[in-house]
Amino acid sequence: MKKIFALLMVCALVLMTGCGGSDKTPPSADETKLGMIAHLNTTEQKMKELYDELVKKADLKVALNTVKFFDNLSTMQMGLESNDVNEISVYSCVANYLSGAGKYESVPDNALSKLSDSFCFAVRKDDTELKAQLDKAIDEMKSDGTLDKLVKDYITDAEPDNIPRVEIPMIDGAPTIKVGVTGDLPPLDLVLPDGTPAGFNTAMLAEIAKRIGRNIELVNIDSGARAAALASNQIDVIFWAVVPNGNNLPSEIDKPEGVEFSTPYFKDSVKHLKIKS
Amino acid sequence: MEFTELLYKIFLKDGGWLTILNGLRVTVEISALSLLFGTLFGSLLCFFRVGKFTPLKIVAQVYISIIRGSPVLMLLMLLFYGVFARQGLSPELVAVVTFSMHTAAHVAELLRASLMALDVGQVEAARTLGFSKLQAFKLVTLPQLVRIAKPVYQSTIVNLIQWTSVVGYVTITDLTRVINNIASRTMQPMITITGGMIIYLALSYLVYGLFNWSDRRRGQ
Repeated sequence: MKKIFALLMVCALVLMTGCGGSDKTPPSADETKLGMIAHLNTTEQKMKELYDELVKKADLKVALNTVKFFDNLSTMQMGLESNDVNEISVYSCVANYLSGAGKYESVPDNALSKLSDSFCFAVRKDDTELKAQLDKAIDEMKSDGTLDKLVKDYITDAEPDNIPRVEIPMIDGAPTIKVGVTGDLPPLDLVLPDGTPAGFNTAMLAEIAKRIGRNIELVNIDSGARAAALASNQIDVIFWAVVPNGNNLPSEIDKPEGVEFSTPYFKDSVKHLKIKS
Repeated sequence: MEFTELLYKIFLKDGGWLTILNGLRVTVEISALSLLFGTLFGSLLCFFRVGKFTPLKIVAQVYISIIRGSPVLMLLMLLFYGVFARQGLSPELVAVVTFSMHTAAHVAELLRASLMALDVGQVEAARTLGFSKLQAFKLVTLPQLVRIAKPVYQSTIVNLIQWTSVVGYVTITDLTRVINNIASRTMQPMITITGGMIIYLALSYLVYGLFNWSDRRRGQ
């Protein structure tokens, strides 16, 4: 028994030293390890293919990237700080928010501003009434300038130390829609120190709720469980980002079965950040 | 000085500490309730498992091996988004049910292991001396069982507290969820998560402390 154990230990030791040796190959000079937030409903491999295709089609002169996926912004930030990745890919508004920490700087690369995602709400497919109401309210808000005002208040002017509160309308007797917030993506989706959800997406939805005469209930949920929660009726609306059609790509690359998107209400370009040198 | 300010900003400012305390309360509540029901159900399971009635014995055996062999997060998601999705049960209730089920399987096994460590001859001797079955259990088996099971039970509790950190997946804002929210908002994941870890550690040490204290009281 002892001999077998000793043999196993020796094997393990050999294996471990072997791994350490092969990992040490230095990356080539023009290769960057890039961190991205994983999308909900596609495999990481498919996202990588799409990313490569996008870069090729849009004819971007981006450095050769090895993409690594993270569950959310905080883990991605930790990846950057521990040098697991060299750069992270985030939306411009998130990049601006992050610059408040004083630790990061953006990678100058003009080609990247061509890449952009649109933000919308995702609802269940059989919930056509809610989708129609959302679309109508978004169109109204676009035409009467409310949307621009919300963008200014909650994104352009929002400082990490001074995030405006969102007034949640309370209408007596109105039906309630449940919204899943993750608190993972400031300034779009975050939770204030006192535990109340805030951010642009929430403000947007509060305004819509006021217009369509429904109450909203904000439910804090882990981002990985949002699709399951939506599909099983535990929540009715989640926030979603889609790649727009512009770059010869379908907008619905990661659209899950049985989910319908509202009209996009905000569009933002992508920026890459790295640790300040 | 700057670091102290940063800590203040992350953990205390604008009632942030109250939110953390609230998250801690949720974690402790779910853990305590699950421990209570899990222990009761687990003892019953163990009774079936070591009992003479074969069907119940097999049921207990299958239950224990399924629950112990699968991640608790899967069970939680399955119950909340699948089995109880239409019933409109509160997520906290589903979490308590899940963790009770999970703890029960572990408690049943630890009790069985402790029972097996006992000397059968002692009960037989007690029975020969005219003790009833119940008396023999109460006066001979139970005191020794408690002594043997205690250290393992203690680590089951500590494990349970840490397992509850996945309830964020079913719309419950527990300590882990609060810490993650703070990490995203303040853009300081390293410091925030270290802080969260210290709170969990303190909770575990509280459990150790309680057990230690009760041990010493018995010793006196």
